[in-house]
Amino acid sequence: MTEETVVDKKKKTFFHHDSKLYRDEHRAALLMIVLPVIGFTVFTLLPLIYSIFASFTNWNGLGEMTFTGWRNFQLMIKDNYFWQTLGNTFYLMLGIPIGLILSFLLASALSRGLKGTTFFRVIYYIPVISSLAAIAIMWQWAYNGDYGLVNQVLALVGIKGPNWLQNVHTVKPAIIAMSVWKGLGYSMLLYLAAIQSVPKSFYEAADLDGANAFQKFKNITWPMCRPVTFFLIITNVIGGSQIFTEINIMTPTGGPEYSSATIVWYIWQKAFKNFQMGYASAMSMILGILIFIITALQFYVNRKSDYKLS
Amino acid sequence: MKIWKKLGLVALSAMMVLGMAACGSKSSSADSKKHTITFMYRGGEDEKKAYGQAIKQFEKTHKDVKVKIIVTSADNYATKLQAAISGNKVPDVFYIEQNNLLAYVNNGVLKDISKEVKKSNVDLDNIWSYGVNSYRTNGKIVGKGPLYGLPKDVGPMSLGYNKTMFEKNNIPLPDKDKPYTWDQFIEVAKKLTKDTNGDGKIDQYATGFNVNWSLQAFVWSNGGDWTNKNKTKVTINTPQFAEALQYFADFQNKYHITPSAKEAQSLDTYQRWMKGELAFFPVGPWDLSTYNKLKFDYDLMPWPAGKTGKSATYVGSLGIGVSNKTKYSQDAVELAEYLSTNKKAQKTLVDAGVQIPNLKDMAQIWADDKSLKPANREEFLQIVNDYGRAMPAATTYNSEWYDVFMTDIQPVLDGKVTAKEYVKKEQPKMQTKLDAANQQLKATAQK
Repeated sequence: MTEETVVDKKKKTFFHHDSKLYRDEHRAALLMIVLPVIGFTVFTLLPLIYSIFASFTNWNGLGEMTFTGWRNFQLMIKDNYFWQTLGNTFYLMLGIPIGLILSFLLASALSRGLKGTTFFRVIYYIPVISSLAAIAIMWQWAYNGDYGLVNQVLALVGIKGPNWLQNVHTVKPAIIAMSVWKGLGYSMLLYLAAIQSVPKSFYEAADLDGANAFQKFKNITWPMCRPVTFFLIITNVIGGSQIFTEINIMTPTGGPEYSSATIVWYIWQKAFKNFQMGYASAMSMILGILIFIITALQFYVNRKSDYKLS
Repeated sequence: MKIWKKLGLVALSAMMVLGMAACGSKSSSADSKKHTITFMYRGGEDEKKAYGQAIKQFEKTHKDVKVKIIVTSADNYATKLQAAISGNKVPDVFYIEQNNLLAYVNNGVLKDISKEVKKSNVDLDNIWSYGVNSYRTNGKIVGKGPLYGLPKDVGPMSLGYNKTMFEKNNIPLPDKDKPYTWDQFIEVAKKLTKDTNGDGKIDQYATGFNVNWSLQAFVWSNGGDWTNKNKTKVTINTPQFAEALQYFADFQNKYHITPSAKEAQSLDTYQRWMKGELAFFPVGPWDLSTYNKLKFDYDLMPWPAGKTGKSATYVGSLGIGVSNKTKYSQDAVELAEYLSTNKKAQKTLVDAGVQIPNLKDMAQIWADDKSLKPANREEFLQIVNDYGRAMPAATTYNSEWYDVFMTDIQPVLDGKVTAKEYVKKEQPKMQTKLDAANQQLKATAQK
């Protein structure tokens, strides 16, 4: 027997399902997988099922549940605050396109290899790694009507700024501006990676064809970044639907006349303050379904977004 | 070694370590027969420290009990407690907020401690009846029925004035027994509102009342109220109520004796008061430890009186309740009794400046003590004993109906909507929510 045949034999047994090594590794792999699966089941799946059930009951979170069928959902239709907070939540999502455009522009600027790129990358990324609570408190001060940073800067150019967080008309734009600022660095970094990974040959080919800068942007850069845009929209919409921390810190009572109360904030109020855990569960069901539909729609619209070289 | 075996070994040894640890703790507790009860409470730094001290004293008199403390910030307390209850991990002893009493009792969270308290030699007559009655309920209304807790404290909200500022401006000090009329109050307030450094900007104001904590005094003393006595009907759309609310809003819009919402945001009125730039400010017993360190002299006075001619304000309270599921009910009740009624514990807490004594005789001695500040501490006792009331939503099933009122109120305070229009528009909204709360109460009470 030559050495080669020995190796061949070993190879065979290695891939053979009955081999001891295979079984051992298989077991080990299972063990590794089991942990997150248990975690998911205990902390996500079971509470989800429980919550689905609770949404059909009148339950105060303390005592017994009484089954009430669709009653919670009927109540919801008539609940003005439900619609208002849902509307507020979507209003706040206006920040998503703004944030994407800004971060794309920034990424384009930074990808030109100017001096100090690294410095700016770090600067823009700092808000991303900072604690959201700390940022919310800082912006709360910045928005202060009298001595806040924002109004002081406006005063320099002769504009008398409003009392941002206490005014029905300005509180939502104020929060949008904050979340755009906070999310900028993250989106920018992803765009930067996408832009830099576009093969140079594409641009060279376009140059040969006499394409101008706008055409190159429209036909090369932007399409090549589409998967990133898609990813960012999906994650931002999901995150935006669940916006809570900054609301609860900057406007702890839901803002003037509930103008900054979001749906998750309202759900939390109902569940933990007003003993309506059943109703709160029902609202979170609706929210979950809404997010699911929106995400599914986006996947449908973007089904051709995968770029293939061939 | 095979991976599988390696992993198995690691798991086995981990289990052994855990097992040994478990055995270890078991055997040591069996030796001394010590058992642990948990106590969950909340408070600011001073309060946490004072209660920690009182609990240590309790452990000294109860050698077999170890008290495990869970302490939260005031904001987080309600959420954390409810999570603990939902998760079936109710602490043995915990603070109860007044407006949660009905829900907790009707859902079997709180233990009826009437018998235990009766058996022990706690003299309930020597405790503020407002405090004790706040934790009695028959499941439908608060104030009657079995006892489900003892007062941790009672919190009369009095009105303080900056004595130094009055003296500087040669204004006679407020009478401690005869409240200002509303007109007198405005008159004095106008004199005290001024620009002290001549920069053209007013920097000394008379008032800086937060609507959440001060409107009650004006509404009640004018004969208005949020609901009828049975808490079934929202009664904000009465002329007395509207008048009081308008008067309150006019502080800012008509009389200009209070910083505007915008000015108040830049330096909130609490800070202004502490800097000595406000003449009047609400004072609760928990404020004393802070206010006594201020650079100016202050004292307490009755709230200005509206049409009824009588001062009014609210008394808050927190209770200490025992879990219905506790394994050590004897010790748990004793801990509640100790914190609420024991002389030594009360002295620790009062000395820390975080509350007034729960015991009437002790409170009188405290109020008469000439060495303490502010001089008119008697006002606190009068509020608790005589003219203080519970907050509007303290005894309803939830506070949603009342929160609506405060959520929408800013336009009135800004002078964009008159009080009359507001109460007319808000009443139906609040009524719907109150009806819903009462219905929920009914549903749980029937069980």
